[in-house]
Amino acid sequence: MPKSPLMICILFSQLIVGEIIGELSFDNRYFFNAGLQEQKKNHTSFSFSPEIFKDDSNKIFHFKAKLRKDSEDSGRDLNDIQELYLINILEDKEIKLGVSKEFWGVTETSHRVDIINQTDFTEGFDGEEKLGQPMIKISLERQWGLLDIYTLLGFRERNFSGNKGRLRLPLSINEKGPLYSSSSKNKRADFAIRWSNYYDDFDIAISHFSGTSREPRFLPSANKINELVPIYEVIDQTGLEIQYLLDGLAIKGEVISRSGQGERFSAATYGFEYTQVGVLQTRIDLGWVVEFNHDDRLESSPFVLGTRFSFNDIYDSQILSGFIVNDKSKELGFLLEASRRIGECCMLSLEGIYFDDTDEDNGQKKLFQAFKDDDFLRAEFIYYL
Amino acid sequence: MEVLSNLIIKQFFVFTMCMILVCIAGDLSANKGLEIAILSDKNNDGFIDSSSTMTMNLINKRGDVVTRKLRFKRLEVPTDGDKSIAIFESPRDVKGVAILSYAHKVEADDQWLYLPALKRVKRIASKNKSGPFLGSEFSFEDFSFQEVEKYEYLYIDEEIYLNNPCYVIERKPLDPYSGYTKQLVWIDKENYLVQKIHHFDRKSFHLKTQLFKDYRKYDGFFWQPHEIEMINHQNGKKSILIFDDVKLKSGFTDRDFSQNSLKRSR
Repeated sequence: MPKSPLMICILFSQLIVGEIIGELSFDNRYFFNAGLQEQKKNHTSFSFSPEIFKDDSNKIFHFKAKLRKDSEDSGRDLNDIQELYLINILEDKEIKLGVSKEFWGVTETSHRVDIINQTDFTEGFDGEEKLGQPMIKISLERQWGLLDIYTLLGFRERNFSGNKGRLRLPLSINEKGPLYSSSSKNKRADFAIRWSNYYDDFDIAISHFSGTSREPRFLPSANKINELVPIYEVIDQTGLEIQYLLDGLAIKGEVISRSGQGERFSAATYGFEYTQVGVLQTRIDLGWVVEFNHDDRLESSPFVLGTRFSFNDIYDSQILSGFIVNDKSKELGFLLEASRRIGECCMLSLEGIYFDDTDEDNGQKKLFQAFKDDDFLRAEFIYYL
Repeated sequence: MEVLSNLIIKQFFVFTMCMILVCIAGDLSANKGLEIAILSDKNNDGFIDSSSTMTMNLINKRGDVVTRKLRFKRLEVPTDGDKSIAIFESPRDVKGVAILSYAHKVEADDQWLYLPALKRVKRIASKNKSGPFLGSEFSFEDFSFQEVEKYEYLYIDEEIYLNNPCYVIERKPLDPYSGYTKQLVWIDKENYLVQKIHHFDRKSFHLKTQLFKDYRKYDGFFWQPHEIEMINHQNGKKSILIFDDVKLKSGFTDRDFSQNSLKRSR
C-alpha cells in the first residue's frame, strides 16, 4: 500500500480522471485429509484488487493492488502493489517507471525464462502469480526487433505458505531472516535485457539477467531444527525462447543457463500446442498442450499433458485438465478445472487436484512426497466491480 | 457411310464450339466476378487509419440478449493487408484482452493475443479462424479483412435486394483452413458496397446469412456499415454488431500496432 504522501497524491489525482475498476474474490479449498503437519481441512480466503488505468495516448498510468486475507495461514495474507507505473512514449523509445509485472516466455506449463518478478507461491503452484517489481524499463522498437532494458530496483522475497498453510514443504521456512550473497542484500539493483523479434512464422527472444535470484536455495537453520533458511544468491541467467507456427501447430521451447548457485546448470521446457477447432461437428474447440521438462539439478524430467475444452458459448465455459507424470518415480499429478461466467459480473471456477500417493519406494526421489495428503477441491468466485 | 462420318464430324465440331463458348463464358464470369470484387475492395482505399467502438449483441432463439463491447483500431497498409487491434471492454472478466492482426494478401495472417492478467503476449495460429469469436455467431474469419486475393470468383447474376440493384457474385476461399466452402455476396451497383453474404459451410449447407446495414459515408469517400447482423440458420441464434464513434485519420502509426503496444492496451 502507498506509504509516501507523494504516492497518495498521485493516486488521488488519478482517481479524478482515470478509470477505476476492481475485483473481489472468494476462494475456498477443501482438503480431503488433514495435513502432514496437522493443518486444517478447510481453508478460505478473500482477496480484493482495485485498479486504476489512464491512457493519455503517449502517457499511461496504471495502478493495481492486491490484498488477500486467509482464514488459516497468515503466510498467505498479502498486501502487494502489483502495478504502479507511468509509461512515457517518446519519439524513439518508451520508458516505464515504477512497479510492474513483466512476463517473458512461450511455454504453457512451466516458465523457465520468466525472471523479472518474484513468484507468489501461496496463490498457486503453477508459478504464474507474481509480485510487483520496482523498475526502470526502456524499450526500443526498431526494424531489428524489440529491445527491453531493465534496471530492477530492490528485491522482493518469495512468498511461502506458513506452518498452518497448504501446500507447504515438510520443513518450515524462515521467511523473516533470509540470507543474501550480496552485501547490499535486498537493496541491490539488478539488470536485465531482452531482445525479441519474429520472422514470418518464427518467433525468437534472447535475454540475460544479472542479479539476485528470484528462486532461493535453502540452508538448514543454525538455530532451529526442522527449519530452512532461504538464501538468495547473485546469479547470471541467459535465456532463449523460440516458437515456430507450423500451420495450426505451435512448436515451442525455452531454455536457460544459470551460474551463481553452485555449479552452472541448464533447464529447459519444450513441446507443442495445438487446437482442434469445432470438434465432432460442434462449436467446441479442443486445445492440446504437450510439454517436456529438463533440469540439470533434478534426476527426473516431468512430462505434462494438458487439454482445454472451450465451449464457445456466451458463458465462456471451459474445462481444463492436466496430467503431470514424473518419468523416474512414476508419480502422477492430476488437475481438473471447470470455469464459466455467471451473469455479466462474475466468474466461477471449480478445481480438483489429485496427487498419486504411491508409497512404493523405487529408490527415486519423489516430487509430490510432501503433498501426498494434499488432494483438494477448490471453488473460486470472482465478482468484478 | 460418308454421310454418317460427316454427321459425326459436324456434331463434333458443334460440340467443340459449344465447349469453347462455355469456357469463354465461364472465364468471362470469373473475370466479371473478380472485377466487381476489386471495385468493392477499392472503395475504402486511402482511409489511412480508422477507429471505432463496437457493441455486439448475442441473441439466442428465445430472444435473450447479452452484450459485449470492444474498441477497434485499424491501420491501412497499402502494399499488404491492413493491421488492426481489437480490445475487449466487456464482459468484465475479459476486459483488456486484445487481439492484434496483420492481414496478408495471400499467406496466412499474423495474430497475437494479449492476456492482461498474465501480462503475456501470445502468438496464435491464425489457421484456427473458423471458430466462434467471443461466443458469437461471427467467426474469427468473419472479423478478418477479406483481401481480394484470398478468393476465387464467379459472377452469378443481378438481383434487386431491398430496392437496390445488386450484383451477385460467388467467392470460394482459397485457404483450406477456411470454415466456408463458398460465399454468395450481394454488392450494390451504385456504390459497390457489400449488402449481404450467404455463408456455406464445409458440407455446402447454407449456414449463415450476414447483413450489412446503415452505411454512412465519412470524409466524402469512406463507407462504414453501422450495423452488421449475422444469422445462424442451424442453431437459430444471431449476433448484431453495432459500430459507433467512427473516426478516420487519428494519426496512428506502426508503433500503435506492434506486439509491444498490446502491452500498453490495458
